[in-house]
Amino acid sequence: MTVADVLLTAIGAVVVGSALLVVTTRHIVHAGLWLVVTLTGVAALYLVLTAELVAWVQILLYLGAVVVLLLFAVMLTRAPIGARDDLDRPRWPGVLVGLGTAGSLAALLANAYRWDKIELPAAGTAERIGEHLFRSWVLPFELVGLLLLAALIGAIALSRSGDE
Amino acid sequence: MPIWLDLVVRVLIVIVAAFVLPLIIGQTEHKVMAHMQGRLGPMYAGAYHGWAQLVADGAKFVQKEDITPRAADKPVFKLAPVISMLPYMIVLLVIPIGPGNGWVAQRLDIGLFFALAVLGLGVIAVLMASWASANKFALLGGLRAAAQLLGYELPFVLAAASVAMAAGTLSLSGIVEAWRPWWLLWQLPAMLVFFIAGLAEIRRPPFDMPVADSELVFGYLVEYTGLRFAFFMLAEYVGIVVIAALTTVLFLGGWKGPFGLDAELGWLWTIIKVVAVAFVVLWLRVAYPRLRVDQLQRLCWLVLVPVALAQLILTAAVKLAL
Amino acid sequence: MKGIGLAKGLAVTLKTMTRRATTRQYPDVEPELPPRTKGVIALIEENCTVCMLCARECPDWCIYIDSHKEEVVVPGAARARQRNVLDQFTIDFSLCMYCGICVDSCPFDALHWSPEFEYAEYDVNDLLHGRDRLREWVLTVPAPPAQDANGAPAKEQAAAEKALAAAAAKAAAQAEAGTEDGNGRM
Repeated sequence: MTVADVLLTAIGAVVVGSALLVVTTRHIVHAGLWLVVTLTGVAALYLVLTAELVAWVQILLYLGAVVVLLLFAVMLTRAPIGARDDLDRPRWPGVLVGLGTAGSLAALLANAYRWDKIELPAAGTAERIGEHLFRSWVLPFELVGLLLLAALIGAIALSRSGDE
Repeated sequence: MPIWLDLVVRVLIVIVAAFVLPLIIGQTEHKVMAHMQGRLGPMYAGAYHGWAQLVADGAKFVQKEDITPRAADKPVFKLAPVISMLPYMIVLLVIPIGPGNGWVAQRLDIGLFFALAVLGLGVIAVLMASWASANKFALLGGLRAAAQLLGYELPFVLAAASVAMAAGTLSLSGIVEAWRPWWLLWQLPAMLVFFIAGLAEIRRPPFDMPVADSELVFGYLVEYTGLRFAFFMLAEYVGIVVIAALTTVLFLGGWKGPFGLDAELGWLWTIIKVVAVAFVVLWLRVAYPRLRVDQLQRLCWLVLVPVALAQLILTAAVKLAL
Repeated sequence: MKGIGLAKGLAVTLKTMTRRATTRQYPDVEPELPPRTKGVIALIEENCTVCMLCARECPDWCIYIDSHKEEVVVPGAARARQRNVLDQFTIDFSLCMYCGICVDSCPFDALHWSPEFEYAEYDVNDLLHGRDRLREWVLTVPAPPAQDANGAPAKEQAAAEKALAAAAAKAAAQAEAGTEDGNGRM
């Protein structure tokens, strides 16, 4: 066990624990706040795996924008203080999907690597990611850009359709 | 020096800086604001021109009763002030005040990206405080803050991207090394956008609608007393330091001075520039009234974002031409 | 030009910063108050005739006056005269709203404004100030400001001048009539 192993296990436990709290807590805003903890933990996992840039992108996008938007929307509509029992949360389908995904992913990974040792690639600095992105993966990158643009235009069109 | 001792010393320096610099800025604000309004400001605390006013304020905050509203969500309510302070303290870690590894607490290759990512977290503390207070004014303030911070994040990052593109690196030290005096002119629009968006990020007047004391009775701070309130105030003033330092490092050449000697006197240049930018922050508070909420969004989307995008194109063009 | 106001705002504040502050540090430096400052109301007891006009005009009834009558025997007069003697003159400064109607309504100039303002108390009941305190404040009443050279003359002065002119005219007329009559009589 190296230090990295210990860290990965500990952070992984935090991530799984807080993720469980996200789906089981009966405080709707607390769920959002536990999501903050989960996503921070995921960023920390990236950091331990020396994927620096991805870790900070995770923080900037998921914590700084997505979760904030989520909390914002929840508070804008209804955000009662205290526990609520009437949260619309189908339990058994949720358990089924969650356990199914986790189990199949685990099986897939275990089957793919078995006991192989894999060397960590060089640290995921901005330079390396930039090189990969704009040399070998430039076409998919541009396609993703196009897709996002289309989604943006679609969102604008949807939100303005009532004006006419 | 063993590596852990080195780390501890660096972190300690940053923590001390995060608690002392805001006091200096706050005291300067007291005095600058007073004199700009033809007043004297604090004169008694500490005998000489009230230099110890904020120490006295601190002692006052400690003595105040720590009130948590009965309807509040207690853990979140109590956690929010601490979290409000954290992002700014963490950003202080990567800000270089001189050349080389000795003048920055933690050198990061993607320091700029790191700083922007962590600064974006400040809004979570605001949302926590506003919701957990169980108060309408607090919730309104928090929603305003979220809308404002989400909007201003965009020009803030775009303006920083422009200078990163010009320097060809995301490292804060690297940007300062690549900086040349003529960038002052070339990157001027980006600097203005970055500074204005930075003011909005830390919710300083004229962008203080989330706390707007005259309409929202202090917004998300309304239920806080004593030390917890002091923490929010401290966070605001560390925010000034952080924004001033980032502006200095990105756009004003950091430790580069006009007379050479950068290796020896670089830290002094950085501090002088940071103080000058912080002075402008205080100055703007005295000179301008608060914007309205719609004016705020208008300024962001119709002025700052287009200017930042235009600057990005200009930077790319100049970069390709050179 | 649009936006020039923004620059002006910055200029004004910066300019103010370089000037001396106008603050006067009150407990260390006494404020220079204008002579008409409404601080507290002082009473010159000797002028008071207990006419009760002030107490009656007071909008919130904060003046309390007690008196009794005394006989004054004037030698040679047919009967003794009666005179009001002041027993109590108290102003409740917790009620007073500093309108100054009592000062204006006093026909004998017994009440005056004093610029004195440091009379805060720890107990609201201690704001009830009696004759002794009102008399002390008389010493702080400033001399009335000099007549404005360009202003209209004071009412009293105008009246005195008018009376003087009328007397002079009457005397002149009498003198003239006298000489004429004299001629006739002599």
